Amino acid sequence: MNRTKLKVSAAAMLTLTACLAFAQKVENPVPIGVAVAQTSNTALLGQEQVIGAKFAEKFLNARGGINGTPFKLVFQDAAGDENSAINAFQNLITKENVVGIVGPTLSQQAFAADPIADRAKVPVVGPSNTAKGVPQIGNYIARVSAPVAVVAPNAIRTALRLDPKIKKVAVLYAQNDAFSVSETGTFQETAKAQGLTLSTVQKFQTTDTDFTTQVTAVLNAGVDLAIVSGLAADGGNLVKQLRQLGYKGLIIGGNGLNTSNMFPVCQKLCDGVIIAQAYSPSQPSAANQVFVKEYRAQYKKDPPQFAAQAYAGVQVFVEALRAVDRKKKLNTWDLDDLRTELNKQILLGKYNTPLGLISFDKDGEVVQKDFYVAQIKMKDAKTGSFVFLK
Amino acid sequence: MELSSFVQNLMNGLAIGSVYAIFALGYTLVFSILGIINFAHGAVFTLGAYFTYTLVVGQFENNGLLKGINLFPDGSPFSGSPVMFGLATILGACAAGAVAVLIERLAFRPMRSRGADPLLALVSSLGVALVVVNLIQLLVGAEIYNFPSDAYGEVQPALSFKIGDKVVIIRTVQLIIFAVSLVMLAVLGYVIGRTKVGKALRAVAESPSTASLLGISVDRFILITFFLSGFLGGLAGTLVGTAFGVAGPYFGVVYGLKGLAVIVLGGLGSIPGAVAGGLVIGLAEAFVPAEYSAYKDAVAFALLFVILLVRPQGLLGRNLIQKV
Amino acid sequence: MSDFLQSYGFLLVTLIQAGLLGLSLYFPLMAGQLSLASPGFYALGGYVAAIMLTNPAFAGLRDTLGNGIFPLTWLAAGLLCALAGVIVGVPALRLRGIYLALATIAFIEILRVVALNLSITGGAIGIFGIPQTFGFQDRWQYLLIFGPMLLLVLAFTYMLQKSRVGRAFRAIREDELAADAMGVPPTQYKVLAFVIGAVIAGIVGSMSAPFLNTWNAKQGTFDASIAILAFVLIGGSRSMWGPVVGGALLTAVPELLRFLQDWRLVINGLVLVVASLYLPQGIVGALGKLRRSPPPSRPPVAPTTDAKGGTP
Repeated sequence: MNRTKLKVSAAAMLTLTACLAFAQKVENPVPIGVAVAQTSNTALLGQEQVIGAKFAEKFLNARGGINGTPFKLVFQDAAGDENSAINAFQNLITKENVVGIVGPTLSQQAFAADPIADRAKVPVVGPSNTAKGVPQIGNYIARVSAPVAVVAPNAIRTALRLDPKIKKVAVLYAQNDAFSVSETGTFQETAKAQGLTLSTVQKFQTTDTDFTTQVTAVLNAGVDLAIVSGLAADGGNLVKQLRQLGYKGLIIGGNGLNTSNMFPVCQKLCDGVIIAQAYSPSQPSAANQVFVKEYRAQYKKDPPQFAAQAYAGVQVFVEALRAVDRKKKLNTWDLDDLRTELNKQILLGKYNTPLGLISFDKDGEVVQKDFYVAQIKMKDAKTGSFVFLK
Repeated sequence: MELSSFVQNLMNGLAIGSVYAIFALGYTLVFSILGIINFAHGAVFTLGAYFTYTLVVGQFENNGLLKGINLFPDGSPFSGSPVMFGLATILGACAAGAVAVLIERLAFRPMRSRGADPLLALVSSLGVALVVVNLIQLLVGAEIYNFPSDAYGEVQPALSFKIGDKVVIIRTVQLIIFAVSLVMLAVLGYVIGRTKVGKALRAVAESPSTASLLGISVDRFILITFFLSGFLGGLAGTLVGTAFGVAGPYFGVVYGLKGLAVIVLGGLGSIPGAVAGGLVIGLAEAFVPAEYSAYKDAVAFALLFVILLVRPQGLLGRNLIQKV
Repeated sequence: MSDFLQSYGFLLVTLIQAGLLGLSLYFPLMAGQLSLASPGFYALGGYVAAIMLTNPAFAGLRDTLGNGIFPLTWLAAGLLCALAGVIVGVPALRLRGIYLALATIAFIEILRVVALNLSITGGAIGIFGIPQTFGFQDRWQYLLIFGPMLLLVLAFTYMLQKSRVGRAFRAIREDELAADAMGVPPTQYKVLAFVIGAVIAGIVGSMSAPFLNTWNAKQGTFDASIAILAFVLIGGSRSMWGPVVGGALLTAVPELLRFLQDWRLVINGLVLVVASLYLPQGIVGALGKLRRSPPPSRPPVAPTTDAKGGTP
């Protein structure tokens, strides 16, 4: 057993050294890595990202790929933990010879795996990392997922427009979720800045199902607005239990609740929840409308934000590759040089994605023009939609 | 604390506590017979909910291998009436019981017959849990599934009554869970306390070798135990699913972990202990003041740690049994 | 060679890391104590290093010491975990078997919730941007600290097993009452074994924080306890090579199975089941049986025969 393993690794080493003797060329079709959570309890987000990325692969290749050269996505499961994310990145960088990576799913994983790519000088576009500090990890790190600070305040202003009498606010957030923690900070600051009273702040875990403690506290505080930062399952349950136990005021859901995955949880009780969106299917650009149409045709529902962001991540790579290819044909590039050039190009470009028009600042932080506030309208117990407000 | 909020917390605690109890019973039954902790119990709990969902709805979303399948093109016979939903729940629990039996056959029995280190059962059952959870994801995806909102018939979502001028509100589904759990506990208590099967089970738990000398087929009763354990786990899965939704393949994991605290608190292997432990932890969590809600998850384990130091046999456990 | 290290450097280090964590659990087991606390001390050690390396409060110390700060984090983590080991161990070790295991799981869960709630640990996001040990740029370079650490711990284990303390541990494992009667105070030795495990796990944690670039409350959870228990049992709990072999193999399996894509974790679970069924004495135990034919003696496996199995 051990001996065969040794032999195998010796063989692997030989092949690798053989490869090393020649400068690494860019493969055809051009490999782009995708490292998101295909397993673990983060897979709910990851599987949407896989769908979004695959859509981009099919659609953009059908439109000529990279100026006629096709590209292929190479998937490596980054699961929900840091070790798997690093292993996935390592595999993509050294074994799959990708030109760049879309991933990982969670911010905590980004803090572990992105430095690996940055040191190896491989460009990374984060599809869903929203924590503060991710683009600053290094020069090669960018993201298409807008940090929460810009999304959240709109929702509060919209709520105040719908009901100007709002005075007292309850804030609830998932304390073990990095995104929700930073989002709630923004929500709380905005609420105070708008002259609202924070009557109670309640914490929960994304793994919680029973929220009677928190809901009881909200009811006792007698608030007219409840702001929830969490993910689909916990957020949905919280909304459901707030309503079932008799909460009558408005509810704002953070960006983590911007998913139709919430509908099966709170069903008809989802109705009326105001959602802060970094992506809206109603975004009017042609790029988005084609995406929405194709997605609906295949899945019979609107595309979720995670799918749209993963799509955008792949699209950024493809368009930047096109620009690089126009300067000098891709197949003449040395892989290492291409990665560096590609990274520069990514930061320079403007991209017309389903998220709207985006570009990047010098850190790699996304500059996104359009944010949305929507209200959930449930058609029946299972199907609903996000109705664009404002 | 005001009377109204006391009553409110009490009811919240009893409702969630009864779910902990019924879930933990499955753990404790297996422990009482084999002296091992079956880590796959959380996965069986999850399966129970998925089985019932399959019967009641019959089709799945787009991310698994089973996409596009519709078991009941003309609508499921199990939907629309509370009685049929109850039947589906029982069938789902039976299927979960069957899986538990299968697990015993494949992952535990061979180990017993080889006289392996009983600790290995922890590893092997962890392996089983990994297989089950990931198979679920492969088959039906990581989506959240939920039962139709009229599963229990057209009932009000919540009941409220007044204490003084304060209103106390409780979700109907919590009352249903509480009631079903009580019924299950009564039935189980009767089976174990009063029937022949129960006596034999207790004999096997007391001493397998003596039991087999008395002509009791130990292996058969181990199978029965696993079936009961899986049945209870699966039932708890459906109950929790109706209250909170089936939040993906990992939805049993939290209960699996908390169930450990419950059975130790009540006394490993003790059936009334599992009930008491479940209720105590449910109540303790409900009474955590709102400003410390972040520490709620630690409550069960802090209680567990303390009780282990003060009274290792648990609240209702007999003298310390040394099976592992 | 360098390309091989580039590709597999991270994985190789995690194999050693798993082996070390397996050893940290092996010590209490040597004295017959089933403790699953290793991930807790691992997490604690990691936080100590992460805080010392990033918190502004330690900026002065970092400037003065330069690279010397890194060994200091190992030392600090080791000391703190020794202290924590005594605090947790003295009351907990009155328990035995599964009760002790569950008490240690409770310890881990409480620690996790506390870490989520403190600001010094960075809450849910954790601590990131941790400086690299001695300025290492590539993951494989961490072999240079994890490798010697493994050798050191193995040498220590080997010597300890031969020593009076090792014999006392074994005496307690075989029969605590008899050991007590023969003048071996069980409580002291049990706490000692527990604390040694805690210190090892803590130091490994402090080395791992820079290695992972970040540290958060997901490091060292309940899942990890059972995984580490699996390292020891599948590797073989009666020899110090067992945890090392088991840790390395079980950590490698899910990575080697990557080609199976979606089926990877299903098969990984099956591997665990099959291994527990067919290797009741663990891999090292099974190898030992093969080498040593008929005589059914049960002394600790001679390390020379298994040296090759130790570092795949």
